Amino acid sequence: MRAAFTVPIALMTMLAGAAEIHAPAQITAGNPITIQTSGSGDATFYLIGQTEASKRKVQAGADIKVDSLELERAGIYTAILCASDGCTSANFVVNPAAPNRLSFLVHPSRVPVDSPNRISAVAVVQDNFHNIVLKPEPVKFSVLPQDGKEVSATRQSENGVAWVRLSSAKKEGPARLGAAIGHANEVRVVRQVAAEACNLRIKASRTKKDFLIETDPVKDCSGNSVPDGTVVSFTKVDSAGKANVDVPIKRGVAKVELPVQGRAKITVASGVVTGNELEIGGGQ
Amino acid sequence: MTRCKSVRATRFGLIVLFASAFICVLVVRDLLVSAKESVPRVQLHTDNLGPREIEDLTSKSVPRDYALAWQTLEQALHENRPGLLDGYFTGLAKQDLTQRVNGQIKSGLRTRYQDGGHKLEAIFYSPAGEVMQLRDQAKLDVEVLDGDKVVYQELLNVEYTVMMTPGADRWLVRELQASTTTKP
Repeated sequence: MRAAFTVPIALMTMLAGAAEIHAPAQITAGNPITIQTSGSGDATFYLIGQTEASKRKVQAGADIKVDSLELERAGIYTAILCASDGCTSANFVVNPAAPNRLSFLVHPSRVPVDSPNRISAVAVVQDNFHNIVLKPEPVKFSVLPQDGKEVSATRQSENGVAWVRLSSAKKEGPARLGAAIGHANEVRVVRQVAAEACNLRIKASRTKKDFLIETDPVKDCSGNSVPDGTVVSFTKVDSAGKANVDVPIKRGVAKVELPVQGRAKITVASGVVTGNELEIGGGQ
Repeated sequence: MTRCKSVRATRFGLIVLFASAFICVLVVRDLLVSAKESVPRVQLHTDNLGPREIEDLTSKSVPRDYALAWQTLEQALHENRPGLLDGYFTGLAKQDLTQRVNGQIKSGLRTRYQDGGHKLEAIFYSPAGEVMQLRDQAKLDVEVLDGDKVVYQELLNVEYTVMMTPGADRWLVRELQASTTTKP
């Protein structure tokens, strides 16, 4: 069926000294081009590309100007000229322009302190028109801790992608991660937060009716305060049975008032970390 | 009496034969239609993938979703229905293809693909798993139609650079950039 279309078109083109179209084989994105044609008479010009599907009336034999706006996205384009004697076409490639943008992905946005290779930073190198620049280009990655000196390293992109893996610092606080190429300088902020609680300890004191159980300031093993809102679980076992209470840390500590019947054992945990055990009651 | 019975049997046999032939024709026609609308063939290669190792589930869902993306792309460009692109495209890829379909609608054009299959090579999987880069060697028979008239037809081997990102329940095509083309 297709051959039935193609063969007559080709034959007509050959016999009639027909319209022809000549497009440059390769161009750079965002540049206008002139497509040369031969033949004569009214014709229709089609341009098909990544974002393009347009049609206009032209004169065969005259030059056809294609605007830069129509050639911003990299990819394969097809120029087609249809005159009274048939259709002819030419494919051409629009290549990305110079690198001048970055799509910068940093993951995660919150990370526990002192975690090796936990932060991933990926930069996709693009030109002004968001085309991926596939040829190798140097991308400068930088890390600027809150109270520290900037550290930077350059990585060559491969197929338009450059990446690094980073470890979080020992001290909590925000770190600014940057990636730069050409005029582009993208920055993302990663919040470094305290890791799991370490040396979780509780103490008890009597109130009028109950016991007040309170943790020491909850810190991780590097001495960073575990963020407020982190849940600490208290467990009480007395003659009335077993009871659990989950309490969020407020101003660095977690506390709870517990009624106790007779003697009781109190334990504490946060995440996978368990703390000390207390025995209270019987007048203590 | 016996002759009459044999004539009846012959008639019945012929009716059954014709009915079977008719059913066969219908089945074959339906099979051809469904083959036309079938999902393109995609082979995924992950031998050179890094730095993250591909998960079992991801190695199945990426080629499946990429094939479905191409199926919807081909249907959208043939039927001029940009809404079909919502399922498997996002970001710039969706924006570009939607613009192309809108251009076709404005100019009265359509594009018909005969998909000869895709050799998909995964080349980068980010450490956190939020983006995968792939290279696709596609065999495509492309026809551009102005109304019902075929104005262009060519068999092409096209290389695409593809970026896919995970969505809620599928991988989505975020970038689809053709870089080279050759005639087979």
